[in-house]
Amino acid sequence: MSFISPLALLGLVFVPAVVAMYLLKLRRDEAVVPSTLLWQRLVADVEANAPWQRLRRSFLLLLQLLLVLLLAALAARPFLERPAGLAQDLVLVIDTSASMAATDVVPDRLTVAKAAALDVLRDLPAGGVVSVVAAGRTARVVVNSTGDMGRVRAAVQGLAVQAVSGDLGDALNLADALAARSGDAEILVATDAALAVAPTSRLQHKVKVLAVGRDRRNQAIVALAVRQAASGVTRSVFVSVANLDIQAAQRRLQVYGDGVLLEARDLTLDAQTRADAIIDDIPAAVQVVEVRLDRSGPAADNLALDDRAWAVVPPQRLRRILLVAEGDPYLETALTYLPNTELYGVKPAVYGPTTHPELFDLVIFEGTLPAVLPAGPILAIAPKASSVLGDVLGTIKDPAIGSLDPEEPVLRYVDLSTTHVGTAIKMVLPAWARAIIPGPSGAPLLYAGDLAGRRAGVLAFEPRLSDLPLQVAFPILVSNLAGELMGGSAAPTAAIEPGSPVALPLPSNATSLTVTKPDGANVQLAPGTPGSSSVSFSQTDQLGVYTATATFPEATPSPVALPTGTTRPTASPAASAAPSPAASSPPVPTAPPADPNAPARFAVDLFDAAESNIAPGSPVAIEALGGGPGAGAGPGSPGPSAGAGSPAVASPSPTAAAGAATAERPKARDELWIPIVLLVLLVLMAEWLVYQRDAVLRLWRAFRARLAGSRGA
Amino acid sequence: MDGPAGLPPPPDVAAGLAPADSAARAAGGRGERPVFLPSSIDPTVFDEGFLRQLERLKVLMRAPVRGGLKGGRRSVKRGQSVEFADFRDYALGDDLRQLDWNVLARLEKLFIKLYVEEEDVTIHFLIDASASMGSGTPSKLLFAQRAAAALGYIGLASEDRVAITSLGGRAGRRQVALRGSGRVFRLLSALSGIGTADGPTDLMAAARHAGAQLSGRGVIVLLSDLLDPNADRVIRELAATGSELIILHVLSPQELDPPMEGDLRLVDVETGDGIDVTVDLATLDGYKARLEAWRQAFADLAARRRATYVPLSTDVPLSDLMFAELRRRQVVG
Repeated sequence: MSFISPLALLGLVFVPAVVAMYLLKLRRDEAVVPSTLLWQRLVADVEANAPWQRLRRSFLLLLQLLLVLLLAALAARPFLERPAGLAQDLVLVIDTSASMAATDVVPDRLTVAKAAALDVLRDLPAGGVVSVVAAGRTARVVVNSTGDMGRVRAAVQGLAVQAVSGDLGDALNLADALAARSGDAEILVATDAALAVAPTSRLQHKVKVLAVGRDRRNQAIVALAVRQAASGVTRSVFVSVANLDIQAAQRRLQVYGDGVLLEARDLTLDAQTRADAIIDDIPAAVQVVEVRLDRSGPAADNLALDDRAWAVVPPQRLRRILLVAEGDPYLETALTYLPNTELYGVKPAVYGPTTHPELFDLVIFEGTLPAVLPAGPILAIAPKASSVLGDVLGTIKDPAIGSLDPEEPVLRYVDLSTTHVGTAIKMVLPAWARAIIPGPSGAPLLYAGDLAGRRAGVLAFEPRLSDLPLQVAFPILVSNLAGELMGGSAAPTAAIEPGSPVALPLPSNATSLTVTKPDGANVQLAPGTPGSSSVSFSQTDQLGVYTATATFPEATPSPVALPTGTTRPTASPAASAAPSPAASSPPVPTAPPADPNAPARFAVDLFDAAESNIAPGSPVAIEALGGGPGAGAGPGSPGPSAGAGSPAVASPSPTAAAGAATAERPKARDELWIPIVLLVLLVLMAEWLVYQRDAVLRLWRAFRARLAGSRGA
Repeated sequence: MDGPAGLPPPPDVAAGLAPADSAARAAGGRGERPVFLPSSIDPTVFDEGFLRQLERLKVLMRAPVRGGLKGGRRSVKRGQSVEFADFRDYALGDDLRQLDWNVLARLEKLFIKLYVEEEDVTIHFLIDASASMGSGTPSKLLFAQRAAAALGYIGLASEDRVAITSLGGRAGRRQVALRGSGRVFRLLSALSGIGTADGPTDLMAAARHAGAQLSGRGVIVLLSDLLDPNADRVIRELAATGSELIILHVLSPQELDPPMEGDLRLVDVETGDGIDVTVDLATLDGYKARLEAWRQAFADLAARRRATYVPLSTDVPLSDLMFAELRRRQVVG
């Protein structure tokens, strides 16, 4: 045992001081008593037991001398030396990716990894320096080459799990670069090795891994989308749940709309499979849909981060339909009933490139087909000639309606049992389409499908040549069909990947943008350049829904006008869409007129099955990336045990250490202040007990008397 | 002997005296002003009811004794009481009134009837007036005075003679013997005149001096804290006088359980000698054990000498002492 501050042993000069104080004559208080007769006899007895009495009386002196010795030893900072197990320059890489939040070890993988890393730091040689790198979505140097262990501890303790897909390879490369500054360096990685992206690049320095984690039980929401239902009126939620465990699982799926539970559904998930669920009839007023995997009960998995997902319901957008026909009042009337829809009409003779069919969400050709079909969705009604939409074989009279599929979304709420068709075009069902209303002898009356990336449908008869327009089923069928072909209200707002920047549109005249994070914190964003139409927001490290609210100058009233250069479409689409085949040219629709000043929402979701796969990986594969001399020199001291759930240094041969590099290293020091402080406390306690022994004895006797009294009672 | 009888009583005394005064009148006293000041003794102790209760008691003796004057106790002599004792042959000169005529008629023999003689005895109160008796709350001397007053009243009421002797210094100062319940106030006066002696007291010498003044056998009541190295010899010598010895060992609560702690120098109030003691719980436990052994030694000694030993604490109420403790130990009955 050696001392760091041996001069502090000069404190032992207090030992004779304490003894001197005891040698001084004790000044006693005088007390007059009736007689000292009995006391004299008592003192005679005491003197008869003099050796023991002297010893007892000097017990306090002994304790105080011991206290002085201990305090002097504490000030001298004694330590024990042992071979250092780590290099002089240590780069500590701590995985902070989402999988480190798994709770298969208590309390979670990151906490265990941090504790294990700090524990291993005891093997750092005297004078060693440590750098800390956090391996999240990107690598981040938390502490750079410091010998201040308090700072290192504080930095490591301050690390938190980032709900992102980690990139350990990036962190390892950074750590390798940091280690290159020193001759004796190594990289220590605390990770669960459940890597979304496996690192592949070779490293120059030796790598050791502190592996945490032991279980892979996890189910994750890997996809969530809100789409317009086929009817075009309601919306559906599409959820995909992956079971990443190797055992089947039973989880309850809960769907919330703006915080209100809408539906709960039990899912049975086979091992290593995905299960999809569609929840229909989401109320129109719902703006944010949240999906949770219920974590109550024993079915809960080990990772909570991926058990919740959010989706922002895209705002309703006006859709435009162009009807190219000579005039069909039934069809036009039915189309005007569609919500959020503007109907435009043009005669076949006028239809051409100037019509700009690409600006419409759906183009309906009735009784005609142009030579060049528009690129967007198409509905052809009673085409006269064969085309890519289908071959025309002639006409059929009074076609019977075949057996209908009850699961067909286009026929939802549509009753065709009393419908009669007078004349229909005899079509051949093409390979790209499915028959919605089958007709006689394989000639479909209505079919739809995906034609070369474009949704297309063919109705084989003109509505006016049937009694369908006179029935309730007609507007419903038109609505369903239009919804099917237009693909819902709009493309779902894609979820943002955690940590990735997002460009937020900045309304004109707005001075700044306030982004409210899921935890309620506000971030003020100002455009980088004046007049910029968007700002970039990168603090998307939290999962949940973010809200961006524009701020306008106080003097300027909130603009309601459309952006410059745009014109609002006809105020009444129905009116404009009224049969006006004489119109020479259809009005040119403009960009969606959604309120540009309304708060914009976007959701940040993990949606990464690879990161949700928390199965602990092989630390050997990571260590194999490392190089450098003395590979395998593990901590020679009591490192973390390799028990279940506890981190294990996965060095293949820890005792093979003692290489030349190790021999040259300064030894690790274990300061002995903890046992000394405990001893000081013990001595203080003993001294107090000796000094207060009478009070303690009285208390004990009073307690016994009371106990005896209560028993007697 | 009246001592401070001429002094006016303190103002608070007058009210407290009323019962005792009325008791004095009831006892046919001369109307002397009491000097046994209730300012130092609880005035309610000696109210009329308490005195009536005391009058029912009597200081008990184990055996008849030879007394002096005609009294209320059985004597070893034959005399004139109504209680038959024995027969003896008639002798010339005998009082013919004592002849048993019935026997003469039946047996034609002359027998004289003998009757038990009833005489008085003297109750000597030896009150330790050493300086150590002045300590304690209440003081041991005051307690002894009150106990002697009550027992003395019992003696006077039962036609015994009562003598008071204080033991202080090296001598016993004896007051005049009193007889008759009308002398209760002189008894109280004599008691109140006793004060603690200055300087050390040789209890042995004082008791020996008082013993020499005893006349005949009677009852000796020793009221002392016995804090004297020769206390056992005092007991032996008093027991050897032939009188019945009653020892009222008076100690204060402060002596029974000393309220002291720490490093102290204990100074003897009589001798002024000091002793250094570190008082802690163990020391106090040792002291109590030593005290108990000390008292037990007196009890054993008293038992061997056919004396009655009564350990007392000064915080015992006088009524409890008279009607419970002393009756239980058959000192009074």
